[in-house]
Amino acid sequence: MKDYLQRQFEIFTEEENNKIEKMNVMVAGAGGLGTNQAQQLIRMGINKIYLYDHDKVELSNLNRQIFYGKDDIGKNKVDIAKKQLDKFDLDTEIVAIHETIDENIELPDDIDLVFDALDNFNTRFILEELSYSSKIPFIHGGIESWFGQVLVIKPEETIRLKDVFSGVENSGKTPPVMSPAVSIIASIQVLEGIKVYLQKESYLKNKLLIVDLESCEIQKVDLKNT
Amino acid sequence: MQIEVKFYSLFKINLKSSGVKYDIVETITLLELIDKLDKDFEGYFSEKLLEDGDIKTGSIILLNGINVLHINHLETEINDGDIVTLFPPSAGG
Repeated sequence: MKDYLQRQFEIFTEEENNKIEKMNVMVAGAGGLGTNQAQQLIRMGINKIYLYDHDKVELSNLNRQIFYGKDDIGKNKVDIAKKQLDKFDLDTEIVAIHETIDENIELPDDIDLVFDALDNFNTRFILEELSYSSKIPFIHGGIESWFGQVLVIKPEETIRLKDVFSGVENSGKTPPVMSPAVSIIASIQVLEGIKVYLQKESYLKNKLLIVDLESCEIQKVDLKNT
Repeated sequence: MQIEVKFYSLFKINLKSSGVKYDIVETITLLELIDKLDKDFEGYFSEKLLEDGDIKTGSIILLNGINVLHINHLETEINDGDIVTLFPPSAGG
């Protein structure tokens, strides 16, 4: 057991604590959601994070992408993110993958979960399909302005991403985003991922979580298979 | 017979309403529902939800938790006790 995890021991059973330390995940994107997810995941004490992103750091990222500063502009996001995460020395292996996510990528063969940290639905549909084919749960999150949503896709147990979000395509417009709202959605995704991984029944099964931070309201919408 | 329409996210904020309930005397289509909503919300929903005779991309319409694109688009029938959920999904990351 990792010694720095003592304050969370009581939250889980001994078996669950041991399991969390063996958890391997893919974080698909090292932007706002992805950097926050990675931060939360190493604090949970998981074993390995495959962090994907093909982009370089830009000035417009700095309002919410928590591992980057002005000195990092122009550098590969995943390299900087790995450097920051490794600095904490918390025994989570970080594998930085500077790659575009498309139909041709091969998912790592030892992952338990895929975290959606993407910024568009077209790529989300591709990655959810790849995850589904490999029977790996996909934890969707999206954020825009004061609003966000979270949906868990667990193969053979829940509805699919397209069941809910059919008809949503890339609009070409860049959604407005801010750090506190991004952090909340990323944190909910990590919590849902942990529940799914630990096979807890309390995860968002066939429910869409709609988060409205302007009104401070969170709603669950019941979903059905078509 | 009564149906319920729920608004979320930007729709709720823009309209300052979390939804409406309508009494209906017979089954109506989604297009007829949008017409009703337009009367109460000054044409907001046809602008947000309709384009070229079909549902505009970028907004989600669920009937009892099912995306209406998987049912019958604008001709989807709405019956007593049904719940229609409307929201623009958040795409960013």
